[in-house]
Amino acid sequence: MTVELIKEKYSGPINTVEIGKGALCPSIKIGGQSTFPFLFDEGEMPNPPVVAYEILDCPPEDWSEHIINAYGNVVKDPVKWAKACVEDFGARALCVRLASMHPDYGSRPIDEALVVLRAIASKTGVPLIVLGSGDEERDNDIMPKVSQALKGENCLLGVASQNNYKTLTATCLADGHSIIADSPIDVNIAKQVNILISDMGFDAKRIVMHPTTTSLGYGMEYVYSIMERSRLAAFVGDKMLAMPFIVFVGAETWKTKEAKEFGSVQGINWEVVTSTSLLQAGADLIVMRHPDAARSVRRYIDWIMTK
Amino acid sequence: MQEFKITFTDHDKSVAVPHGTDLLSAATKAGIILNASCGGEGTCGKCLVNITSGKIKTDSSRFINIPGREKGIVLACQTIVESDLVVEIPKESVATHEHMSHWAEDFAKGVILQREGLFKPVPIINKIYLELSKPTVDDNTSDMDRIIDALKIRVNGLRLSTRLANLKHLSEVLRESDFKVTAVIAYKEGAMEILSFEPGDTTAISFAFAFDIGTTTVVGQLIDLVSGAILGTRIAFNKQSVYGADVITRIVFADEPGGMEKLNSAILDNINEIIEDLINLCKINAGNVYAVVASGNMTMMHLLLKIDPAEIRKAPYVPTLSAFPTMNAREVGINISPKGIATFIPGVSTYIGGDIVSGILACGLAENEELTLLIDIGTNGEIVLGNREWMMGSAASAGPAFEGSGLSCGMKAVSGAIQKVAIDPNMDVRFETIAGSPPKGICGSGYIDLLCQMLKRGAISKDGKINRDTGSRRIRKSENNYEFVVAFAPETGIGRDIVIQDDDIENIKRSKAAIYSAIIAILNKVGKNISEVKKIYIAGGFGNYLNIENSIFIGLLPDVGRNVYEFIGNSSLAGARMSVRSRDALDVTNEIYRNITYLDLSSEAGYMDEYMAALFFPHTDIGRFPSVRL
Repeated sequence: MTVELIKEKYSGPINTVEIGKGALCPSIKIGGQSTFPFLFDEGEMPNPPVVAYEILDCPPEDWSEHIINAYGNVVKDPVKWAKACVEDFGARALCVRLASMHPDYGSRPIDEALVVLRAIASKTGVPLIVLGSGDEERDNDIMPKVSQALKGENCLLGVASQNNYKTLTATCLADGHSIIADSPIDVNIAKQVNILISDMGFDAKRIVMHPTTTSLGYGMEYVYSIMERSRLAAFVGDKMLAMPFIVFVGAETWKTKEAKEFGSVQGINWEVVTSTSLLQAGADLIVMRHPDAARSVRRYIDWIMTK
Repeated sequence: MQEFKITFTDHDKSVAVPHGTDLLSAATKAGIILNASCGGEGTCGKCLVNITSGKIKTDSSRFINIPGREKGIVLACQTIVESDLVVEIPKESVATHEHMSHWAEDFAKGVILQREGLFKPVPIINKIYLELSKPTVDDNTSDMDRIIDALKIRVNGLRLSTRLANLKHLSEVLRESDFKVTAVIAYKEGAMEILSFEPGDTTAISFAFAFDIGTTTVVGQLIDLVSGAILGTRIAFNKQSVYGADVITRIVFADEPGGMEKLNSAILDNINEIIEDLINLCKINAGNVYAVVASGNMTMMHLLLKIDPAEIRKAPYVPTLSAFPTMNAREVGINISPKGIATFIPGVSTYIGGDIVSGILACGLAENEELTLLIDIGTNGEIVLGNREWMMGSAASAGPAFEGSGLSCGMKAVSGAIQKVAIDPNMDVRFETIAGSPPKGICGSGYIDLLCQMLKRGAISKDGKINRDTGSRRIRKSENNYEFVVAFAPETGIGRDIVIQDDDIENIKRSKAAIYSAIIAILNKVGKNISEVKKIYIAGGFGNYLNIENSIFIGLLPDVGRNVYEFIGNSSLAGARMSVRSRDALDVTNEIYRNITYLDLSSEAGYMDEYMAALFFPHTDIGRFPSVRL
């Protein structure tokens, strides 16, 4: 007797967000699936998840030596670093964090960052994700300039949070970028931020959600269930949760002692396993730090996407 | 220990207190009762005082702006005495103990009026005039037997009793009145008690009071039992409020030395003032008032009867009693006829009190065939769902925001409160106050209108943050956040701007989320959809105005057909009044309270999720509010 497998069919697919203009390098598309990850029998998953390589706009001061050693001297120059990611390590997307703009880093003038960003955009051509410094006040000051400088590049800019979304939303709207909507591991707030952003006239289909995650060993099951609940709501028709997910695995992993203090292999594994777990939770765009870990995850995605 | 002298200049009082005493306690020690509805937690902002000289330690508060702080204005409860002090107390900080009851309109209408007509008009006090045959040698039955024989047929065979005190002078009364007397009979737990014998025929003079004893407000109504007419209604702030805004702080206060005494005399003061006001006004004699029927939540009842309420706030939350025997009113401390009775509407549990049972009686939920919902919005939001076959009740800790407490310009629904608000596209505000007097603050229904209008005009976002970029002169930065000016100082009756702040909106958002999610939780529990509810009654201390449309718009009430809704005002008072006028109605309350199942939301899986999702205007799941268009 054969057993008939029960297959779910969902009504609402996840939005497809395209990043990059596709002139020098192909643009990337994320989202678009109509099923939970990799359940090809139940629905479509037209766009494989994408790994973006995280770099800074300045030499990293507090990054693990394991990552620095893997890249070598290029980290001293953000533009060279970016080119190395693309040319030597095969990156299809880059995530630039404007760390040097933070008051703790001495609030470097924005013009210096804009020169770096323009150079990265023109020399690599890969789709760009640009994150502010993490200081709300400073970011409200610099992100409009960043957005303008990258006008036409169709970037993904972040992050917009519940208490600070207006400036970024307005500027992304003006310059044609997509936006990252941030929420603190909370489905309701995730949805509320999406509503607030789209209430400003921003196309909900250009929002990418950052649900806030964690690293392996620090409460993954909670993060997993929040992402799954959010996805389930989207699949049954909640348009205000039908956004693809971006997760910052590199940043989460490399602050743990397990990654930093037990040799590079464990650190890389930690980042890989955190990434593959979050892929199962529904991550669409994974921002990673260690190039070896990133390569492993890209291979994993290629393998698992083979039907 | 070092003591300091605190002088309260405008009261000509001074008091010595040890180092480290807070100013609220110092004032109390000096016999000055300050407003402190939070019970000294620093959250209500009502105990403002001005330090003119001396050294203090104080916490900054959002209720005081920087100029005020520089002048030396502090919250008394958050201020620690560190030297001799000279203190001025502004008038509005002093809890007024003078006559505080206000004339109130009787707003019984709609379903309540209909229901009042349904019950047989056999009031709780029945006066029966008897012309007895005089005893003779052949007919030497005792005086009392003579009366009982005559009464038997008049009381449908109910058991009759009386007290010894009535018998001592009975023979005298009978003979002086030539055996023509009026028996004053009270209905008491399914039996009859002869309260008194009055010489002659006094059946035309018979009165009783109905009371709603709320945590925040006390309302009393004088009723003519002969005609059934309401002779007058008066409303007063519960004087216990100075010891704490909510029941928990009062239960804690009751445990302090002398605390119970203060709470009990505060509520008795309220009741007796209202009684005195009304009988004076209607020129009647207290001796002709033989009954008081009161409904209130469990804590209020315990405090009124001076029964220790301590267990009410401790798990498993058990009150000493939930159904109260009828008592002698004077024994309770209520000043009606010394022989009069006090009857209390029974409650279900710690969280569903007699006020709700009374409300159910008033709206007829327990007799409806169709699914009916009663929502009583008070300091707690109580919700009862059901019909004549079953009922489930629940209480959401909504907080007193809709009663105007804990908000920067909040006030109760009395004269001078802004109760209706409209904002035009240029952000100009029009409002209407209760009794048309110059505005002093905003009451619950005013806040509902205000939020709805601010949402419509984009003055706040859906998460309740005041929009900083409108360019309106009404929106400005206050110390910690932003505020919207509803009325500028010159148009007010208090000489300063009436505003709504980010924190106020946050507070109301939590209250409305608590009530809405409780409604949904109770529906989910019994597997019903809101669309299956055929009638929704809204009760509460909103005065006589509540805009249902706007309440739905902000997500306080579910988005269903507006004709399903009916605002019934104070349903607790209405139920008490019905029980005064008809003992059949009183009997119904004894059936109701036994038939309600209590749902504890705090242990209800999914309630917290519902609550979190409701912390948005109107709701995170906008699909539930299809008629709300922003």
